[in-house]
Amino acid sequence: MTRFGYGIDATLARDVRRAGGAPAWFEQQLTSPGSFPDGAADAVRRWWPDLDRRASDLWQRQVQEVRGGWQVMEDYGRWLLVRRIRTRRPVLEKMTEFWEAMLHVPVSGDAHFTWRVDYGDTVRRHALGRFDELLTATTTHPAMLIFLSAATSTKRAPNENLGRELLELHTLGAGNYDEDDVKASARILTGHHVDLWESWKASYVKEDHATGKVRVKGFTHTNRKADGREVTREYLRYLAHHPLTAQHVCERLATKFVRDDPPRSLVKRLAKVYLKNDTAIVPVLRALAASKEFRSSAGDKLRDPGEDVVATYRALGVEVGRPSRNDSASNAILWQASRLGLTPHAWPRPDGTPVTDRVWASPSRALGSMDLHYSMAGGWWPSEGIRYRTPRAWVSSKKPVRFEDLVDAVSRDLLHRPASKRLVQTATIATGCKAREKIDRDHALYQWGFPRLLAAVLDSPDHLAC
Amino acid sequence: MTAPHPTPASPAAPGARPCGCPDYDEARLALSRRALLGTALAGGAVALGPSLTGTGPPAYAVTGRSAARLAAPGGSVLVILSLRGAADGLSLVVPHADPVYYAARPRLAIPHTALLAPDAMFGLHPALAPLLPMWDAGTLAAVHATGMAAPNRSHFAAMEAIEDAAPGSSERTGWLNRLLGELPGTSPLQGTAMGNQAPTSLFGAQPAFVVGRVDQAKVAGADEEGRRLASLTHAWRGSSRMSRAVRDAISGAQTFGAARDTPAGAPATAYPASGLGQALSDVSRIVRSGVGTEVITVDQGDWDMHTDAGTLEWGDMKRNAGDLASSIAAFFADLGPAAERVTLVTLSEFGRRVRENDDYGTDHGFGNVMFVAGAGVRGGRYYGSWPGLSDTPDADLLVTTDYRSVLAEVVTRRFGVSVAQVFPGFAPQAVGVMA
Repeated sequence: MTRFGYGIDATLARDVRRAGGAPAWFEQQLTSPGSFPDGAADAVRRWWPDLDRRASDLWQRQVQEVRGGWQVMEDYGRWLLVRRIRTRRPVLEKMTEFWEAMLHVPVSGDAHFTWRVDYGDTVRRHALGRFDELLTATTTHPAMLIFLSAATSTKRAPNENLGRELLELHTLGAGNYDEDDVKASARILTGHHVDLWESWKASYVKEDHATGKVRVKGFTHTNRKADGREVTREYLRYLAHHPLTAQHVCERLATKFVRDDPPRSLVKRLAKVYLKNDTAIVPVLRALAASKEFRSSAGDKLRDPGEDVVATYRALGVEVGRPSRNDSASNAILWQASRLGLTPHAWPRPDGTPVTDRVWASPSRALGSMDLHYSMAGGWWPSEGIRYRTPRAWVSSKKPVRFEDLVDAVSRDLLHRPASKRLVQTATIATGCKAREKIDRDHALYQWGFPRLLAAVLDSPDHLAC
Repeated sequence: MTAPHPTPASPAAPGARPCGCPDYDEARLALSRRALLGTALAGGAVALGPSLTGTGPPAYAVTGRSAARLAAPGGSVLVILSLRGAADGLSLVVPHADPVYYAARPRLAIPHTALLAPDAMFGLHPALAPLLPMWDAGTLAAVHATGMAAPNRSHFAAMEAIEDAAPGSSERTGWLNRLLGELPGTSPLQGTAMGNQAPTSLFGAQPAFVVGRVDQAKVAGADEEGRRLASLTHAWRGSSRMSRAVRDAISGAQTFGAARDTPAGAPATAYPASGLGQALSDVSRIVRSGVGTEVITVDQGDWDMHTDAGTLEWGDMKRNAGDLASSIAAFFADLGPAAERVTLVTLSEFGRRVRENDDYGTDHGFGNVMFVAGAGVRGGRYYGSWPGLSDTPDADLLVTTDYRSVLAEVVTRRFGVSVAQVFPGFAPQAVGVMA
């Protein structure tokens, strides 16, 4: 629930109870996410109308200096973050994020930003479908073609960029292909075209396609036709079904959801499920969630910057509204993620947002997280277009509560788990209150020290990991 | 084919924003706790008094921080600037006397007449003009045809290999981390990465501080009594990666006070408003503050120019090379007397193919150029032996100088460490670039 979601809140807890427990809820999330009404998350798309503009329109607006592409891409990041806060279909959302990171097209880029939102929507449609269909949709998508130089690659001198990264990052993995494979891969992909800087229309140009026999690993094709779309489809299907791809995809899944350097035996088992089910994604996730490696590693994975921000909003139960000014919370949320080290899909390299803890366990990340948690615990920033709960939510006017019980109540509310002994000790150190001290609405903790208690809970390993 | 196209400026990195997007701290200043707490200290500390018991009025005070300057200021500093994405060394330092270069690059080749600081063989790309004064003063050199022993055209595998710099070893430690192990300093900031993640070169047993922006390297809400730091330290006891990161963050941020208090310089050669310009401006503050940092990593991206590297009139090469040159020039101007202690080396995971492609770009290659600048450099000249180019679809610039020979010369001369500890099993060749 925590790893395939964005942090437990009251709505999620209710959904799980209604479904009859976590396993039943997970199954329903996998097979019929539509059965969870998601109006609150869907409504957010209308907050940023530029997200639904066509490529040519976005480009015109950039050229005429109405609105820069980078601003539209900031909206895209905000939309993703707020959507993740609100959605009742966290598994679909998490898998969209996972594939969008693995089949990465960065949000920065003067050309491909025009197609970037559509690219994300495409990934979302396939996120719980089949990897072979997902791979075909992403590899031939204008955003990917533009980003990895295949949109203008021709038979005269095929550009190797997408041909290589398709093999290394999206399918077989590093070290599993040679330079001849790259060249053939690049030749297969010639002909796919995007009309850059003008109409931005995607088309297929037969005159640009490099015909003649191709061979990549065990894939061979006479490739006689000027229209190479058929070859492309067969090639991508071959790659998606390759055992090395199964290994590569499942290793990334296990790294994201279990641990850095995941057990080989688990990766092998998942790869088998992947191949047996014709690259269908759901059976693999089912097997992953049922594995003892997954169950025994609960709470071991560090949340990445975006996950930390979203989980913090959900834990505090803040309400975020439509942006009305520059510093509205639904705008500022992007700067918060940036301060922690990364905004959604802004990783500058083609290998996509890292899924290893090693990358995110850094001092700058730690300082960023403490800053985020502290400023939100106090309700200091963001302060516009956002509603925070006040200490009234935890301290009743009727009778005083012992400090250790209050820490427990806050922990159950924010983290949905009782307070560990260490957390009570930590809160004691943070506030100076003694475990058995009575807290009421006249107490200094209630009056002005409450942010220290909330921050101590948010800064704990229980919140930073999932 | 892509035509040259005018593109409106869009910021390459967060922080390089045009107005209309308040800097986080500024916005916070405007919306700070003033209303709530009656203090104008954005991000400043709130001291809670002896404890929260009782109902006495709280006292507010500025965070006390350790102003200790740990290492003796005055030691050598190494800045490793990684050109991410594989820079085209054949454009940065042009082998104008090799006719194959002009044959293989009918559109991308830089005309001989436009080159700066030419000798019989090489010349600099005109966008590197801001570095000419350093070249002429003998504090900047280039070593060509450098790289790893064997080609590796995968960005990610190559970056890792070049930063581990221990081929054949299964140990996952970076060469800079091994260097830190040899240095006597004790500052938690001894090894510092600018950015959000530590590069592979800093992975290993020695702690590495990571800092996005100098001004943000502090623990929010730290109070006079040290309760927040004590509670964080308590919460993160243990040996997990994140526990270590939290502890490194706390000790680093405390030591970092002097760097935060050191104002950004305004050198005569201004820093460009780019991510690299900002990062090097911060590096200068760290060095000048004397907080004991000896090894610093900085990244510049956008070198993977499969398309639109362009010509002298337009394109990514002109832009990125210009950013690189003005950032480095501003950095050394800004350092002032501290420049006597700082050596900067540029490094890329590999070079580009000799022959240009059909998109005004080049594909992944092998050999490349390294720049060495600053303290101890015998500059104003080109080093390395030229293997000669060949013009076939797959031809690369071959490597005649192992990149580790250049790095070994820098670290042995500047830090007095032995090669064996930093580059195990490696026998360097003499390059001559360091005095």
